[in-house]
Amino acid sequence: MSNPTSFTDPTPGAGSTADLLAQAQASLAAATTADALEAWHRDVIGRRGMLGEAMRGLGSLPADERRARGQELNALKETLDAAFTAQQDVVRRAALDARLRTEAVDVTLPGRRPLAGSLHPITAITREACEIFAHLGFQTVEGPEVEFARYSFDMLNIPSDHPARDVWDTIFIESDEAEITLRPHTSPMQIRVMEQQDPPVRVVVPGRVYRYEAQDATHEWHFHQLEGLAVDRNITLADLRGTLAEFARQLFGSERKVRFRCDYFPFVEPGVDLSIDCPFCNGRGCRVCKQSGWIELLGAGMVHPNVLRNVGYDPDVYSGWAFGMGLDRLAMLTYNVQDIRAFYANDLRFLRQFSRARL
Amino acid sequence: MKVPVRWLRELVDTDLSTREIAQRMTLAGLEAESITQIGAEWERVYVGSVRQVERHPDADRLVLATVEAGEHALTVVTGAPNIAEGQKVALALTGARLVDAYADTLQYKALKASSIRGVRSEGMVCSEKELGLSEEHEGILVLPDDAPVGAPLREYLGDDVIEFEITPNLVHAFSIVGIARELGAILDIPVTLPELADLSALPRRDDVVQVDAPDLCSRYAVAMIEGVQLGASPEWMQRRLTHAGMRPINTMVDISNYVMLEIGQPTHSFDADCVADGHIIVRRSTPGEQIETIDHVTRTVEPDTLMISDREHAIGIAGVMGGLDSEVTEASKRVLFESASFLWKTVRSTSRTLRLPSEAAARFGRGVDPNLAWTALQRMIVLLREIEPQATVTFVGDHYPAPRTSSQVTMPYSELERLLGMQIPLDTAVGILSRLDLQPVVGEGARGTEIVVTVPTWRADITQSADVVEEVARIFGYDALPERLPEGQSVPVTRAPERLVDDVVQDALVAAGLYQAITYSMTSDADLRALSVSGEEIPEVLGGFPAAEVPYVRAVNPLRSDWELMRPTLLPPLLRVVAENLKYNPHVALFETARTYQPQGVDQLPDERRAVAIAMAGVRELPSWYGGDSAELDFFDVRGAVEVLLQRLGGQSATFTAVTHPSLHPGRSAAIVLDDVQIGVIGEVHPSVAERFGITARLAVAEIDLAVFAARLLEPWSAQPIPRHQAVRQDFAFIVKDAVSAADVQAAIAQAAGALGGELVLFDVYTGAGVPEGHRSLAFSLALVAPDRQVNEHEVARIRGRIEANVKKRTGGVLRA
Repeated sequence: MSNPTSFTDPTPGAGSTADLLAQAQASLAAATTADALEAWHRDVIGRRGMLGEAMRGLGSLPADERRARGQELNALKETLDAAFTAQQDVVRRAALDARLRTEAVDVTLPGRRPLAGSLHPITAITREACEIFAHLGFQTVEGPEVEFARYSFDMLNIPSDHPARDVWDTIFIESDEAEITLRPHTSPMQIRVMEQQDPPVRVVVPGRVYRYEAQDATHEWHFHQLEGLAVDRNITLADLRGTLAEFARQLFGSERKVRFRCDYFPFVEPGVDLSIDCPFCNGRGCRVCKQSGWIELLGAGMVHPNVLRNVGYDPDVYSGWAFGMGLDRLAMLTYNVQDIRAFYANDLRFLRQFSRARL
Repeated sequence: MKVPVRWLRELVDTDLSTREIAQRMTLAGLEAESITQIGAEWERVYVGSVRQVERHPDADRLVLATVEAGEHALTVVTGAPNIAEGQKVALALTGARLVDAYADTLQYKALKASSIRGVRSEGMVCSEKELGLSEEHEGILVLPDDAPVGAPLREYLGDDVIEFEITPNLVHAFSIVGIARELGAILDIPVTLPELADLSALPRRDDVVQVDAPDLCSRYAVAMIEGVQLGASPEWMQRRLTHAGMRPINTMVDISNYVMLEIGQPTHSFDADCVADGHIIVRRSTPGEQIETIDHVTRTVEPDTLMISDREHAIGIAGVMGGLDSEVTEASKRVLFESASFLWKTVRSTSRTLRLPSEAAARFGRGVDPNLAWTALQRMIVLLREIEPQATVTFVGDHYPAPRTSSQVTMPYSELERLLGMQIPLDTAVGILSRLDLQPVVGEGARGTEIVVTVPTWRADITQSADVVEEVARIFGYDALPERLPEGQSVPVTRAPERLVDDVVQDALVAAGLYQAITYSMTSDADLRALSVSGEEIPEVLGGFPAAEVPYVRAVNPLRSDWELMRPTLLPPLLRVVAENLKYNPHVALFETARTYQPQGVDQLPDERRAVAIAMAGVRELPSWYGGDSAELDFFDVRGAVEVLLQRLGGQSATFTAVTHPSLHPGRSAAIVLDDVQIGVIGEVHPSVAERFGITARLAVAEIDLAVFAARLLEPWSAQPIPRHQAVRQDFAFIVKDAVSAADVQAAIAQAAGALGGELVLFDVYTGAGVPEGHRSLAFSLALVAPDRQVNEHEVARIRGRIEANVKKRTGGVLRA
């Protein structure tokens, strides 16, 4: 600590300001703590300090000296004030630096993290798909899972005993008169939507569907589909291809190619299924696409004229297309999940992985 | 359907590789599911000729055979009983990969030279099993005499087999000829059809057939064959049958199967001497009728099953299986050969009811063209004359009162562009339709240029113009189809509030650190009973929903009894998931948003009500270097999540009222009430119930009906400005009896605070020193704030007094000193 008493000795109003400045600067430089700074301030530039005393001593000087001396002391005060502020900064910074040094942590320790939570991958893919179609002008609607066979089959051009009914291994619901199914596909909503409105129709329908089917790595009895339906004048198969190509590219990358091949579903004619070139190998052939370079994504086609007639649309005036895709399959492709059963086992070790977002 | 490609190439002369054929067919609608290469493994296996067979000098049961195959000539040691000089055989050289005939599973091993009882063997003469052709390993495979000695066996005997999926519309392609027609149309190559016999000179005996069920049997044709000697069919036929997936049996059965594979018409042979009076009656079954079928099973058939019968008893189930009594055996002298057309529905349902699927039933069940029945007879007779030349056909008969004729369909040419969105030149379309045997004729009609096609009887799937559009499009190919987006009036896309509620709930709970589950939407009576403490009966409240007064939605044919009911509550499957997860995870916090299925009565669809269920169990926080709350998750963890959720849903005014619930802890369960309506339940699961789901840990759950929230989220609400004046915080601690609920004290404070009362937080619950037994201290912090001024000391004092009085009056609580 400096010894501030040395400043109280000089004769009031006497001593050169240069001496005072030199003395004060020396003792200021020695004041490296907040306490020492405070003491310096009190003893040197405070009201009762050396400078204050010198100011008060001005009165005893002759008028002509007083003015000059006063100016000197004022200049000295300004200098010392500035020096004090600067030293104060230095001391504060040093103290802060010292504190921060002691607060150093091991940044490799894990953080205090809240649990991330996650959407189920089927939900994530459903939202993604519906959003893409919303941007393409498709309304998302839902329909009943427990459904009259009339909607599940008959109105979709699949009459009773039609061999095509075998394709949908159906779980039936106990009833007396009405034949009731667990919908084996989301297609009944084609009928329900068209029954309730006139063209133009543009909807997608996500939801659970059920099949009487043994489970294995690629088959479930309970899974999810997304149905799509567009009906208007002049709706063509080329529109279907363009719409689905757009969807596939938004989901699987802008370089995706799409391919149609002829396929059969009783409620469309012509019927097709859509493949994309394999996003895992860009069509060169890999394990995922079984070396074919193509991955089947969905079944689709032009709405069968009988279906349009069933809902009172004139098939000579209106045309439309429909598609149905497996959302589980889509999620399996998107996240490279090998076993569909993982979606319904709900093991947290699986679910937690989906905290990660996907664009 | 398995198609041996060599057979197919005999009908369609193409250089395309098997893979290319499969691809072209697939794109045009016949999906090739797999390609099997028979003989792909046959490296270093050749057609050999047995020059000499000598006894092994040192072993009675072994022989030394000298076999020559082109440049290769070697001596092999073999124990095959059927080897003989002059035979053509399959000779494997060292290094060949062969099936290990003695392994239990399919294994290959490379052939090595070896010494057998002192004689060096440089190769092997193979059995069918060793070549992977069949399970036959009794003797070696003996090849036909004209087998080219020295040729690689793969070239001589190998083949590719494409398995096509035959969708229900493709019965016309359910045969080699049908597949060939498709391939010919795709490739624009003429199809060589198999040779057919001219039956016009044969005696006609239509009277031997009597059809009593004409609605189920549109045609029944027969041929009487005498002098059949049942033997093995020729190697080429056996080979084709085997490659196509059928087992060779004897000449008659093999011819029948060959005809079915080749042209698609199933046929059947009866021992004519076992058909009483040689008279066939096609009729419906009599009540309780039984028949012993050729698989030695006595079957009772359903009423109205279509039966083939003689005057005395049934001799076969139409289209499904023949009777044992009339089976053709080596003793049979005369064979009555059936080629008939049965209604697809009856064959399909009988085959399913009796669980007797077969190649024949699969074809009948899709509707075989009745005109094929006669073709099948013509083809059978050609094969019979080749294979059983000593046999004679003594007569043929036919019952076909209403022959199916071809039909005409008109397609306006403009339909192609209207439906496809691309132009296909008229002559291209006409060319394609010609190749498909649709005999297109172009004319002018009401809708401009029209193409009228004549649909052959085997194409019953073509009935209207859209079908013709597809025929043109699939052969033309979809690769040229442009990619466009729909034109015309766009439809406004609105957002369905019910769906948005799901999104809001999911996002809120994920943000709260929970993980979304999707469980099967079915449950069982047993799991619903497990929700009661006794476990014996289905409780009167199921999760957040009252039990139904009508039967639950029940599956007729559930996959497992675990999945027999559509769940009226989300809880049982979720509890199972929790139990499974607790095995591997110390902290389990799951939710599901899904539909419950509230039954509405028989023949009615259920009310599919959206709900959310939350379940938490395990430790609150995982152990960590900074601490971590290792206490068990409980009621208040779930309640916290529910409060956050309700806030997001605009239901923050909901109250929690203690309730007795059949599945929940009697002291830790509450009804969630919003606007005087119970919307759900929250609580810890009763340990007896939890244990029944395999959970011994403390388990807290909630289930909330989401139906009310769509409307609530649509209500407009306004943000409030931040108060301009500082709130005055006042703390109170009241000592109340244990029976007094915190909610009541809170309500009393809020009521007394009146308009100036702001945020009210319960920040401490205390029992212990200073608080009498049976009481607890509840400490609240209340913000007092006025919109237009600073709340002054007088107001504070007045309100404090009012609060003290009101809490005392309403709850008996006294302010803690």
